[in-house]
Amino acid sequence: MNTAENESYSPKKGAMISIKDSIKETVISFFKEALEKKIFDAILIPVKVPAGDSYTWILIEDVSLFKDAAPISPIMPVQGANALSSLTRKGKGNLKIAAIMRPCEIRAAIELSKLKQVDLENVHLFSFDCPGALPLSDYVKNPSKGEEIFESFFTENKWNEKSIKPICKMCDNFSLPNCDLHFGILGTEKDKLLLIPNSIKGEGVLNEMGIAFKNDLSEWKKKVEEIKEEKEKIKKENYNNIQPMVEGLDNLAQTFAKCIGCHNCMSVCPICYCRQCYFDSEVSKFTSDNYLLRAEKRGAIRFPTDIILFQSGRMSHMSLSCVSCGMCEDVCPASIPVAQIFSYVADKTQKVFEYQPGRNVGEPLPLKEYKEEELQEIKKLVNDSVSQE
Amino acid sequence: MKEQFTPKIVGFLCNWCSYAGADLAGAAKLKIMPSLTVIRVMCSSRIDPNLVLTTLLLGADGILIAGCHPGDCHYEKGNYYARRRFALLKKVIKTLKIDPERLQLSWVSASEGKRYAEVVNQFTEKIKKLGPNPIQTKPYL
Ligand code: SF4
Ligand code: SF4
Ligand code: SF4
Ligand code: FES
Repeated sequence: MNTAENESYSPKKGAMISIKDSIKETVISFFKEALEKKIFDAILIPVKVPAGDSYTWILIEDVSLFKDAAPISPIMPVQGANALSSLTRKGKGNLKIAAIMRPCEIRAAIELSKLKQVDLENVHLFSFDCPGALPLSDYVKNPSKGEEIFESFFTENKWNEKSIKPICKMCDNFSLPNCDLHFGILGTEKDKLLLIPNSIKGEGVLNEMGIAFKNDLSEWKKKVEEIKEEKEKIKKENYNNIQPMVEGLDNLAQTFAKCIGCHNCMSVCPICYCRQCYFDSEVSKFTSDNYLLRAEKRGAIRFPTDIILFQSGRMSHMSLSCVSCGMCEDVCPASIPVAQIFSYVADKTQKVFEYQPGRNVGEPLPLKEYKEEELQEIKKLVNDSVSQE
Repeated sequence: MKEQFTPKIVGFLCNWCSYAGADLAGAAKLKIMPSLTVIRVMCSSRIDPNLVLTTLLLGADGILIAGCHPGDCHYEKGNYYARRRFALLKKVIKTLKIDPERLQLSWVSASEGKRYAEVVNQFTEKIKKLGPNPIQTKPYL
């Protein structure tokens, strides 16, 4: 992706396309046409598994295999950025790929490209106005009901549903990530979709396909803003609820008391890409003497140990890139609101560096650069460490 | 009278400046409170936040990270990166309200034996006022 171009790109016009049958079918037929016209060699897209009770990522080259594809799937069992990383972390291939993912998945993919775990050069990123995803545990209990609920978001235009994941309810970043092309669903007539180019690369695709983009975006923008405002409010309220859960050792201990130490939250997190996590390594384990000593001092010691260390360590490793996707929370067997907690902490840490993960491919990770003059608050603390005489 | 509290502080000192500064302070027989357990690291940027958190959550009363003055790092820019990491870690700890005061970053050069002694003594005084790390009384952590 050409960074310089992308940084300055802001979409002005889009292509209004008519919805045939459903949004899903319309998006799929776009990709089919793009494959047939050889604009792309393969499409990375969620597909319903044969048993019909979940979705998985499939890289499709054969047009006939789109039967069970679901560009906008009701659940997010695997973070799209992880799928893209599996595909490209050894470098770009010769194939030109289009990937259609939720905005939080695109943001994670961009963070992973900065961490050299994704190569975006031969990838075109597609996104859409995201209505949220259903909690995995709710969906698997009754997939057909889940399908029905999710379908109604579009047919009845429900954009703040109760049944979506808590992290989605408070997601004010649900539209137009730093992708190449974006499907605008909001603010358009019932039978219309807006295909919006969001980079020079994206414009190129539309030009190659002979799709003119001359339609006005203002109605779409207005509706996105409107929902964004609602979501911002929900987010604020939510952060207020999370705050007392994580302030102070006693509250932290209580919040994570249910934790079974499975590390699911870490293993599904797109940003925790380390081949071996520090907290799974031997370095993080202690001798029995050490544990006995701790028990002696404190009166007792709990197993699994060091649960707060695990979470606070993760926060200091990766919260700057946390994209609030909710994967961690979706897989927590103990129903701990991990993603809401991480989102709350990440909001604070990201502000220190005025950083927004996934905002732009060209923006360096905060820990990989510095300025000689910065962080005045810290400088002051350092100076105060010894009284000037 | 309450028993005298001698804080246990862990000091991560960079090899090229602060550790040498500590050496100098010792050689000059400056008065330094016996609170610091020194761990020598090659550069302040070597200190992963996990090291600091482990130390803190295992019960150290204070943690001092000391490196070369900005611009003087043996590896040129290590301490600028260290400062960013420190800012991040401090924010995490502050957000979780785990006594951010127990964490200290300082710059001490190889010739600043006196400054080293002052940093250690003043930090020790500060920790004395804060009292022992409360984590030592929490069986569930
Ligand atoms: S910490 Fe949770 S919400 Fe944040 S990026 Fe990782 S999985 Fe997503
Ligand atoms: S917690 Fe840290 S070491 Fe473990 S996977 Fe995440 S970033 Fe890597
Ligand atoms: S997924 Fe939940 S139970 Fe498992 S380690 Fe993470 S917080 Fe603990
Ligand atoms: S060598 Fe001293 S801070 Fe890098």
